Amino acid sequence: MTQYILKRLLSGVVTIWFIATATFVAMHLVPGDPLSGDKAMSAEVRKNLELRYGLDKPVIHQYGIFLSNMLQGDFGISYTQKNRRVNDIIREHFPVSAILGVLALIIATVGGIVWGALTALYRDRWPDAVIMFFVVVAVSVPSFVFAMLGQLGILTLNKWLGASILPVAGWGSIGHMLVPALVLGLSTMAYLTRLMRSSMLEVTSADYIRTARAKGVSPFRIFYKHQLRNAILPVITVLGPSIAAITTGGFVVELVFAIPGLGRYFVQAVQQLDYTVIMGTTVFYGAFLVLMVLLVDILYGFVDPRIRVGKVSA
Amino acid sequence: MTDTTAIPALEVKDLQVDFSAQGGKVQAVRGVSFSVQPGETLGIVGESGCGKSVTMMSLMGLIPMPPGRIVGGSAKLSGREILHLPVAELNKIRGVDIGMVFQDPMSALNPTMKIGEQIAETLMVHKGMSKSAALKRAVELLDRTKIPEAQKRAKQYPFEFSGGMLQRAVIAMSLACNPSVLIADEPTTALDVTIQNQVLELMRDIQKEEGMAIVLITHDLGVVARMADKVAVMYAGQIVESGSAEDIFYRSAHPYTLGLKEAMPAPNMHVDERLVAIAGSPPDLFSPPLGCGYCSRCETAMSICNRQLPELIAVGDAHQSRCWHQHQMMDASVEGLFQPNYRTDRESSSSESAQ
Amino acid sequence: MTTHLNTAAMNNLSPADFMPLEKERRADAIVRPSLSYWQDAWRRLRANRRALWSLYLIVGLLSFSYLLPLIVSFDATGQDLTQISQAPSTGRSSLIVDTTPWTGRFAKHGDDAADLRKATGLEIVGEPHTESVRLAWQPVEGAIGYNVFRHLLTPSGDTDLGLPLGQTELANQVSFEDRLKLQSVTYFYSIQPFNRSGELGDYATIEVTPRHATSIESAITRGLISLEQKSSAVGQEIELKRHVMGTDYLGRDILARLVYGGQTSLFIGIIAPLLFVFIGVVYGGVAGYMGGRVDEIMMRFADFVIALPFLLFMILFRVAMGIGPGESGVTPMLIALVALGWPTAARLVRGQVLQLREQPFVEAAQLMGANSHYLIWRHMLPNVMGVVLVSLTFSIPTAIFTEAFLSFIGMGVAPPTPSWGAMCNDGVKSFLSHPHELLFPAIFISLTVLAFNLLGDGLRDALDAKMKG
Repeated sequence: MTQYILKRLLSGVVTIWFIATATFVAMHLVPGDPLSGDKAMSAEVRKNLELRYGLDKPVIHQYGIFLSNMLQGDFGISYTQKNRRVNDIIREHFPVSAILGVLALIIATVGGIVWGALTALYRDRWPDAVIMFFVVVAVSVPSFVFAMLGQLGILTLNKWLGASILPVAGWGSIGHMLVPALVLGLSTMAYLTRLMRSSMLEVTSADYIRTARAKGVSPFRIFYKHQLRNAILPVITVLGPSIAAITTGGFVVELVFAIPGLGRYFVQAVQQLDYTVIMGTTVFYGAFLVLMVLLVDILYGFVDPRIRVGKVSA
Repeated sequence: MTDTTAIPALEVKDLQVDFSAQGGKVQAVRGVSFSVQPGETLGIVGESGCGKSVTMMSLMGLIPMPPGRIVGGSAKLSGREILHLPVAELNKIRGVDIGMVFQDPMSALNPTMKIGEQIAETLMVHKGMSKSAALKRAVELLDRTKIPEAQKRAKQYPFEFSGGMLQRAVIAMSLACNPSVLIADEPTTALDVTIQNQVLELMRDIQKEEGMAIVLITHDLGVVARMADKVAVMYAGQIVESGSAEDIFYRSAHPYTLGLKEAMPAPNMHVDERLVAIAGSPPDLFSPPLGCGYCSRCETAMSICNRQLPELIAVGDAHQSRCWHQHQMMDASVEGLFQPNYRTDRESSSSESAQ
Repeated sequence: MTTHLNTAAMNNLSPADFMPLEKERRADAIVRPSLSYWQDAWRRLRANRRALWSLYLIVGLLSFSYLLPLIVSFDATGQDLTQISQAPSTGRSSLIVDTTPWTGRFAKHGDDAADLRKATGLEIVGEPHTESVRLAWQPVEGAIGYNVFRHLLTPSGDTDLGLPLGQTELANQVSFEDRLKLQSVTYFYSIQPFNRSGELGDYATIEVTPRHATSIESAITRGLISLEQKSSAVGQEIELKRHVMGTDYLGRDILARLVYGGQTSLFIGIIAPLLFVFIGVVYGGVAGYMGGRVDEIMMRFADFVIALPFLLFMILFRVAMGIGPGESGVTPMLIALVALGWPTAARLVRGQVLQLREQPFVEAAQLMGANSHYLIWRHMLPNVMGVVLVSLTFSIPTAIFTEAFLSFIGMGVAPPTPSWGAMCNDGVKSFLSHPHELLFPAIFISLTVLAFNLLGDGLRDALDAKMKG
């Protein structure tokens, strides 16, 4: 197990390096350079700025500096807000995104498992049909539509009750989080529901379930002792990609609900072509996701005895 | 060898099982009857799809219902009717009075549960034992099925076991509550030949000690020959021949049994000799044939075979066969019109097939 | 246990019954037409109602975007600022009006009364229409002027009078002409007198629904009437262009934009997956077929690309490539999608090829001296195609969502190129007042994604069932 974790950790580090390099290359494909563009500036100002951002050096040198800075966790200074460091921006805005994301992930996972198990239990009967209908809708409708509908829903609710039950936008209380987290988790929840359903159905027809029935174990005990645990395993394996989906999905939700998260800040930076923020955030998100996938894999290793105890194959 | 006056451990009469399918139903089991006495082993032989597994599964209520449906018949466990019992009642029998061993031990055990826990579960559910007591008993059971280092093995997961070891563990599990009947559904099919022998040996030993009845489902005549006191040959959802192992092997009275025997390799066969496969395939039980199910593949079929189902009739002491040839022998009116040209012993069959 | 003979049945037997049966009559051979792999898959797919309807829907959506404009001409970029954010309607007539400013109404009244009374006699002068709404009222003693407000709802108090339109400009003026972006909806106009010291009097409100009108000048410039008709046209009704699905915030026809937006979205959504799945098949096929070190290096690279956070790098590439003036931005998005999308298909195909290489029939072919060309074309490709097709079908919704997502955050195609995603982005701003601007493109995106998802499910089932035998 330790060897497995170490191996995964090493490949994670290499992956992060690749992400950083890809980011650097992509940003240096930009025609011209980040400074030419918006407004004409005097040669002197330009020179100063080049010095400040290290643009006067050859590209390979810049890459070296970029990598060493990344290693030290230094993402540089924002282009548009000249006195803000990217690290500060991330430190300030990421926790908001993280809280929202964790909430969304919990909603998605718990919802996916519960709905998926229900559809499998009521296979081909009306609860199955109803839930699967909503699943199909949830995977087919773009997230921003749900975000808008969520907002409309809050407005209608507030109007209906004649009081401001839930805030329409902004951040601060649990009330601010509920609907955005639900919207954010929705498509992942639908995806996990589908997965859980097929996984449950597969487990239901497995030989060991027949064995358990032949042993005289009650249906309820079979459900929670044998089916559920085995059916959840595949759901855990896709938690890594789910975290990625929720993270990027956060961009839209944060935008629509005016939540001061890193996603919203990233979109703003993109629109303003704030190069250091774009690069820093991309590398940060990339590293974050690699770590999350790693964490999920290790978690899976603990849940599935075949990996925990057995030999590990790459 | 058995006391026929005693109440059979398991007695099945005229069992019929259907599966509804699109546009109709498949008659998987079409009136099967048999009985096993305590301490006796009944071998049910037949090719895949003949209904032998469905017969036993439906007794245990393990076929999916729907689409499966027990249409008729009765099954008595030590004199007590067990067909159509509600699940809660059935659960008091499963694992307690009837133990079951399945074909593929690799998939028959929960991959995420320790072996010991899976055995202990039966004890906890039925005997209300505490977890620690049940685990202790599980180790004893593993020990009894000759699994070395049972203490350590009980804490392992199925994937850490070899196939033969797993089947021993499954047997240990099925024995946990000392059942009066053990149903073994192709228990050795998925195993190596050497391991097969060990597992069969184990089952025999345990039967000697416990005196339970064993119903052994297999398509392997060799296994039956080793294990069974009585044999029932199934074809297309019906028993076509039944009798003592001697009857079936030395006095076969049904063309299908003969066909099976010819398809089986024998130690005294010549290297150049070829095994004879039974040509064709079993009938579609979606619309079962009017006559004998084996008719289309039978070397000695007669025109009546196509039209009318033969009855299961006694051809000897506790030896029955479902074939028109036997009817013919018994019915004086048609006697002498047709001489069955099927073989009753191996020598003549191999010489014929070699031609 | 002994079964007795059924004597009734036996009595009907005759010696003929026991004649041997001829071999031919016995075998009720199962004769089924043999179907090729694809024929069988197609048969299964057709049996799946949902998948079949999805296929029809996809054909319908493609026809909507690519065939419809060949038959009917649509104008997706023409703006009509007089018809902004119109709700869907089957047709609309417009009154041609002369837009000479109104001189107004005046009434002399004292302006130093102690307290202001409520304004009275608020009325509409002439016919209210979207080019001008004329208000007049009785003078209020003590007032030196009047504030005029316009609201979409009934005002609930002094602070809720709506959009301040301005004040009366001239002394003694008791009228106001509103020519500010009027639409054919119900307005609530309020006037509020104020005196020299800035104190406000009670307001008066009037409800009015102006009818749609076009100024004679704009009617001529937009070609609705000819120059010769100029003198006689005022007061005439003319039929305006129909907007079956309404108009957007620039008065552009939403139906037309959906048609052309579909061309963009479907093009990106279908061509990009075709390209990256093709690249993935070649890449994965080569890796799997070569095996060994080559495979290891190639797949390690694919793993890296998969590890890149997809949407983030879509944005990054889009920023890096930029969009020059006059470009639609479709090409950068295609390139980015292909650059990031290929590894999934590559992994899939490689896995399949590795499995196939071990298959007995491939080994048999090799033993019989088949060359690699034959092996690849005869054995590998046909067996990989099923998985590839399913993966392609499932990639299309992802690509369409990606286009929509990028356009939504303003990183998609460049305006004025329409795309369903870009239309959603436009529609979001006015979602609460004019929901149709978001809903229509969103419905088209959802239907497309739904259709491809269901078709993908159907395809997978159809091909899987065949694989299982």
